[in-house]
Amino acid sequence: MNLVKRYAILFILFGLIVLFSLLSPYFFTQENLTNIFVQQSYVIIAAVGLSFVMISGGMDLSIGYQISAVGVTTAALVKWIGIPLPIALVAGIVMGTLMGAFNGWLSVRLKVHTLIVTLGTMTIFQGLSYIISRQSVILNLPAGFKFFGQGYLFDFLPFSVLLMALCVGIASFLLNLTWFGRHIYGVGSNEETARLSGVNVRAIRMLTFSICGFFVAISAIVLFGRSGSASSSTGPGVEFTAMTAAILGGVSFKGGEGKMWGLVTGVFILGVLSNGMQLVGMNTYVQYIVKGFALLLAVGFDILQKQRLAISAVRASQRAAA
Amino acid sequence: MGEAILSLEGVTKVYPGVVALENVSLAFEAGEVHALLGENGAGKSTLIKIVAGAISPDAGAIRVGASSHARLTPHQARALGIEVIYQEFNLMPSLTAAENIMFGKRTGRFVSQAAMEARARTLFDEFEVDIDPRALVRDLPASQQQIVEIAKAVSREARVLIMDEPSAPLSMAEVEHLFRLIRKFKDRGTTVIYISHRIDELFAISDRVSVLRDGRYVATRGTAETSRAELIGLMVGRELKETYPRRDAEPGATVLELRGVTGNGDRDISFSLRGGEILGLAGLVGAGRTELAKVLIGAARLDSGQVFIDGKPVSIRSPRDALRHGLGLIPENRKEEGCFLEMDIAWNISFANLRRMSSGLVVRKKEERAVSERFRSLLRIKTPSMSQQVKLLSGGNQQKVVLSKTLAAESRILIFDEPTRGIDVGARQDIYQLMDELVRKGHSIIMITSDMEELLGMSDRIVVIAEGRVAGTLERGDFSQQAVLELSSSGAYKEVVA
Repeated sequence: MNLVKRYAILFILFGLIVLFSLLSPYFFTQENLTNIFVQQSYVIIAAVGLSFVMISGGMDLSIGYQISAVGVTTAALVKWIGIPLPIALVAGIVMGTLMGAFNGWLSVRLKVHTLIVTLGTMTIFQGLSYIISRQSVILNLPAGFKFFGQGYLFDFLPFSVLLMALCVGIASFLLNLTWFGRHIYGVGSNEETARLSGVNVRAIRMLTFSICGFFVAISAIVLFGRSGSASSSTGPGVEFTAMTAAILGGVSFKGGEGKMWGLVTGVFILGVLSNGMQLVGMNTYVQYIVKGFALLLAVGFDILQKQRLAISAVRASQRAAA
Repeated sequence: MGEAILSLEGVTKVYPGVVALENVSLAFEAGEVHALLGENGAGKSTLIKIVAGAISPDAGAIRVGASSHARLTPHQARALGIEVIYQEFNLMPSLTAAENIMFGKRTGRFVSQAAMEARARTLFDEFEVDIDPRALVRDLPASQQQIVEIAKAVSREARVLIMDEPSAPLSMAEVEHLFRLIRKFKDRGTTVIYISHRIDELFAISDRVSVLRDGRYVATRGTAETSRAELIGLMVGRELKETYPRRDAEPGATVLELRGVTGNGDRDISFSLRGGEILGLAGLVGAGRTELAKVLIGAARLDSGQVFIDGKPVSIRSPRDALRHGLGLIPENRKEEGCFLEMDIAWNISFANLRRMSSGLVVRKKEERAVSERFRSLLRIKTPSMSQQVKLLSGGNQQKVVLSKTLAAESRILIFDEPTRGIDVGARQDIYQLMDELVRKGHSIIMITSDMEELLGMSDRIVVIAEGRVAGTLERGDFSQQAVLELSSSGAYKEVVA
């Protein structure tokens, strides 16, 4: 396959960077670029979690309220109950993982599409989050908590970006190099074949959702640490940003397809778009329209490529046969 | 002969992995009944869908009367007077017969129930059938639903009426009536394109017969000048005899034994399989053979009974357990159950064996490549590269990939479910050769097949299943089509005797 076609979204990202650099003198500065990285780190971490579910052929709409519930719970444990921060953070991550496992367990039990299961649990987690937070804002999170969203290592490396890189690294390792990753792709590509080939499909469902919950909880800690306060209205909406980025980056809605570099590129395309349009002074609502078209264009382009590829391959095999 | 009212010129349609129609040219004349004949997958459905505008051809032209089209839309096709009656009716079950017939037609500014019913009644009278125009379509029997379909097409003043397997849901008397209708349309100058598997019918109704094979046009014959044998010859395009590898090896000790296996619709199944043996599982479609295979590999529940491997009782609760015991299935539905179409060949081949090929969690890529290359040459998989997507391979090569996947998982006992279904003749020989090589190396095979020749040609022994029970076992000396068929249809009888 031609290099340009294969890495089309990378070229789009570079194109956008060049475009906004020309349009705004503030865009291509160290400060702004760091800013984009910091802003997008929690989205990428959540999208990494989501991609496990999507590659296995599922969908998780509940991650927005998972973030919300994990965030306010961790904050409440620290601020209201006075539990030491490290323990509260671990509790938050365990909670996220359990919420994911709950999603996985339900989809195995109910045998309905994960989209519907997580539509239900999304509402459950919403209620849970507001009950825990008592519909209030928990202000002044401790410095240690904020460090996850605002801290710097050696004065130049944002801690959130380091976490993000770590998450992407772990996910790439699991998905690309291990048999476990292959099984996830297998279940997403053809569940029945995977089952007959000896894969425990239920275990894969449980695990992918749990892993998703795990990463989403980390994302919650980064996001709440950045804002420095906790409220139940923080988090919802991330599911759609993450989903958009994943699809933009080539993670298939049907499962069995998707790479980490594509996912990260997808998030950055959205991030650069909003940052750049902001700097240029574009109306917020116009930005929505542009982002929507970006997604549709990317998907349309992808389908066109695949069709061409299939046709040329068939022609080639016909020539070989003739 | 009359002038061509509809003709295809060099029409080609390519789907990923298959050429459904290749350069087909065919002309239909005004006022003739023209039959289309061909095996499953010969391209008949693709051809009518192209004529009806349901799909677009990749090359060629469709000429209707004086106008030529690169493709048609369903709307255009209808405007040109082409109507199709598909096997699955296109009716709205919750509307009345009259409403269905008049659907989409404007009779005036408002819909007049009375006018619609009157029009429907006229048509039914003309067809000499007694159907209440006010009856809901879902309450009508299949034969009457079909009449409603025909009335719908005729009321649109069809010039070309395409009927796909119209006689399938009909009784003998109803078929007679259908033929009378078809002759009536013909007398009016309507062209009828008639598709059927029942060759005898074609002699009763058609003027000419065109034969398709593997997506290609083969020949057209006047029905009066041809014979059943000639048509079958054209359809199959080859001598019916396959050549099978000589099966002469002495089978070894029993490797697999079933005692009273019950579950998934099968009851009390007992038989054994010896080392180096090909055991044919015969029976009618739906007799419970695939179901038994699913029970054996742990994909369906075993309710009672016991399975022994190498004389030891085993408990197989999942396909993973089965693979651990060296028992693998090459499923009937290759695309749905056998392979990962979007993934490449090497990926597919290693899938069932990944854990053995890993150090801890990490897959050893070098070993993976080596293993898949070994199977590529061992099974003669024809592909430009191992990173080719499986969906772009031919059926025969896909089957070899599925087989490789099962063999790579170190299976010694293989269950082949319809090993050569949908595979072309050349690749079929390859698969037979491979099966023979495998048993010579000491593997054992259970072969489920509905292909009589294959069953008699490849098996060392045949177990016939009927209605979820073992109806009988045949040794090689007793093999005959007659014996297999008698046992296959003996289920009900045996039930009474038992």
